[in-house]
Amino acid sequence: MSAGATDAPVGVKLVSHFATVEQQKRAAVLGMWAWLLTELLLFAGLFLTALILRLLHPEAVQAAARHLKVWIGATNTVVLIGSSLTMSGAIQLSRLGWQRGMVRFMLATAALGTLFLMLKGYEYYADYHEHMMPFLSDRPYALKDSPPSRLFVNLYYVATGLHGLHLMTGITLLLVMTWQASRPGFLAQHQNRIEIFGLYWHFIDLIWIIAFPTLYVLNR
Amino acid sequence: MTSGTITGGPALRDPHTPDSRLGHGADYLHAEHTLRSWFFTTDHKRIALLYLASITAFFVIGAVTAGLVRLALVVPDGQVFTNDTYNKLFTIHGVVMVWFFLIPSIPATFGNFLIPLMIGARDLAFPKLNLASWYVFMTGALFTLASVVLGGVDTGWTFYTPLSTAFSNTWVVPALIGVTIVGFSSILTGLNFVVTIHTMRAPGMTWFRLPIFVWTHYATSLIFLLATPVITVALILLIAERAFHIGVFDPAYGGDPVLFQHLFWFYSHPAVYIMVLPGMGVISEIVPAFAQKKLFGYKFVAYAAIGLASVTFFVWGHHMFVNGQSDFASVAFSVLSFAVAVPSAVKVYNWTATIHKGSLKLDTPMLYAMGYIGLFVLGGLTGLYLATLAINQHVHATYFVVAHFHYIMVGGTVLAFLGGLHFWWPKITGRMYIEAWGRISAFLIFIGFNVTFFPQFILGYLGMPRRYHVYPPEFQFLNILSSAGSTILAVGYLFPMVYLVYSIWFGKRAPANPWDARGLEWTVPSPPPSHNFLTEPVAPKVPYDYPLQAQETGRQHS
Amino acid sequence: MFGTHDERRILWRHMREPVLTACALLAMLGINVALGATLPFPHVWIVELLVAGAMVVTILLVSMEVRHEPPLVKLFAGIGFFWVGILFAMTLVDYLSRG
Repeated sequence: MSAGATDAPVGVKLVSHFATVEQQKRAAVLGMWAWLLTELLLFAGLFLTALILRLLHPEAVQAAARHLKVWIGATNTVVLIGSSLTMSGAIQLSRLGWQRGMVRFMLATAALGTLFLMLKGYEYYADYHEHMMPFLSDRPYALKDSPPSRLFVNLYYVATGLHGLHLMTGITLLLVMTWQASRPGFLAQHQNRIEIFGLYWHFIDLIWIIAFPTLYVLNR
Repeated sequence: MTSGTITGGPALRDPHTPDSRLGHGADYLHAEHTLRSWFFTTDHKRIALLYLASITAFFVIGAVTAGLVRLALVVPDGQVFTNDTYNKLFTIHGVVMVWFFLIPSIPATFGNFLIPLMIGARDLAFPKLNLASWYVFMTGALFTLASVVLGGVDTGWTFYTPLSTAFSNTWVVPALIGVTIVGFSSILTGLNFVVTIHTMRAPGMTWFRLPIFVWTHYATSLIFLLATPVITVALILLIAERAFHIGVFDPAYGGDPVLFQHLFWFYSHPAVYIMVLPGMGVISEIVPAFAQKKLFGYKFVAYAAIGLASVTFFVWGHHMFVNGQSDFASVAFSVLSFAVAVPSAVKVYNWTATIHKGSLKLDTPMLYAMGYIGLFVLGGLTGLYLATLAINQHVHATYFVVAHFHYIMVGGTVLAFLGGLHFWWPKITGRMYIEAWGRISAFLIFIGFNVTFFPQFILGYLGMPRRYHVYPPEFQFLNILSSAGSTILAVGYLFPMVYLVYSIWFGKRAPANPWDARGLEWTVPSPPPSHNFLTEPVAPKVPYDYPLQAQETGRQHS
Repeated sequence: MFGTHDERRILWRHMREPVLTACALLAMLGINVALGATLPFPHVWIVELLVAGAMVVTILLVSMEVRHEPPLVKLFAGIGFFWVGILFAMTLVDYLSRG
């Protein structure tokens, strides 16, 4: 089967309140970057909290960090780097107008995102088994001799949970967009949506690239 | 941008038709009449009115609770309400006034309405997002109102831990969720403004041809984007703390309540400038129009807006001088706080220099603007007292602080809001209000405000703490004075609600430019057409091109 | 799925950069995980932080194509990190000077 056979015209349809397509595309890119600014500062608050906990209670934070499953975290980082690659692929093909290949790359991206969430779910499950969920009041906590370690472990759940929520949002948006993008004529009207969404996806990846060392590696 | 030609959409009307001939159906108010055309509109002007209606409702809630607080303080023994009720009243007042009135007030109404008109655009960059921001706002409001209806919150608007997490037995979580959600509406508004101002300006509309109103809204939008997410995450941690006892702010497990205050004030101090900067923009439009004189030192005023928006991120620790933050940090934050005075003073000097030797018309908007300048100066200077470590120790958490920030928030933002409302009312509604009533309301509010809040400076200096309704009897006289002033203020607020609404149906029809003011918004009919410009907007060569002009360089002659 | 030789060549021309980026990111991740697992010397966190920073910069400049964007977008991509710097620096002024 040939992807080239489905070459589609690539472009963006002008919405009436803009003067030119160029202006419309610039607005969309800038808008997404402005949104990503807010995402960065949102997670920065959590990273700052992690740093302060480390400064206030170095031993307890180290003890907590050593209990986290660094190998699952590392595997998940690999998965997300892979999903960024497939997302870049989807963007490249959208520029070429290779619609069918682009849709496949988008599906692969969504699949890798889902794999990340499944691995994360398994990690939570393993944490639960090892009594590493201090926020559950009716379940004994593994490191009960070190009360401040609770704080770091709980923060780990808030940070990974919030990141997971962003990823889930990303996957949902991606699937909706894949469905739209598989229809003929999509690339002629909305090619830039792929690029804009790509920015968001890469940024969720970037947040994890910061979160992984902050939570799992730096405090060992 | 290569071309400002409007493509697509409905056909343009003949630009030579006089305003009066356009008749009904031509302007945005009369284009459609169904409820659907209001609640699902993507027209920035209609969304501005949706916001105007909602924040007015919240202003009434906030004002009524303020009135009840002042009622309680008439007697020194705290017999009017129970302690719990009093705590809930001032909390509702604070939460509603800060997050549901002051923060969205000028940006979400006048900013929404005017930015596209001022820069020569057909709409904001993302009209659907703009509508979504209003729905997000109302959703947050619903949660917060639910917490009030269910039984109220008693933490104060600051939600300080450990009171909010460990001790309060009230409906803290719904209130926190409400405030968190409202933050997103600010973010969406700010995002829309930033992108619009960067990408949607008409051909020839360079940055230094923009009205100061646009500059200050740009600065405000940056604060929306850069500060709001941090309080969002602080509130998320607070909700998790209350729901799951995660402990990061709880000293019992080794957490640090001061960390919450750092995150909280990283947003909430810049939030002061979210409230003040748009007001400064309004004043910078009103003053030149009613002095018929070019704004003095345009570039300085513009840069001062960006300067304020940046410096404000370095000073949040001055809210935390007595809470256990390190002495070194307190000194650093204190010194930095004084820097805020510089760009603020630049603005005040430039407004007064604009008034100087202007051809003054003391109409209602100008009265509000002059009231604003005076009250802002007093509020700003007392801010310097509070930034001083030694004085702060003495007056911390007293009525001195309450008086200080009301001079900024009410004397500043509310007066600017009302000034702007009177200035642009003819543009928004196409009707003139009765000028005499406007002037009376401006005087009543100025007098009522000062009688209410000036005694609080004295009370605070004498040591009356905020948030208590039982106080020593010797403070009663000043408290009664303050409460009496608040009734004058209330009457002053009621006036515009009556005569402005009256004018919608019975007011004289407004011409396109009733004040002989400059700026693109005055070149379109009142009220503006649905798509803003009947002809392609032409950017002015210089902003504030009024007949009079001060010599900014060299010696001043005459 | 990409049948003809020409198509494969075009595909590779466009995918070369993303693939190389992913490889670089994986290599840097490998370094960080190895350092974290072995803790070869004290204060290894400084190196780990630098590597993580390099990963972030790679994603911003290459994956998100900031290097091809106009100055305004570059500014927006950078300003957030600057503001995070303010948040961290001013908070640390307190925590690092507590007695």
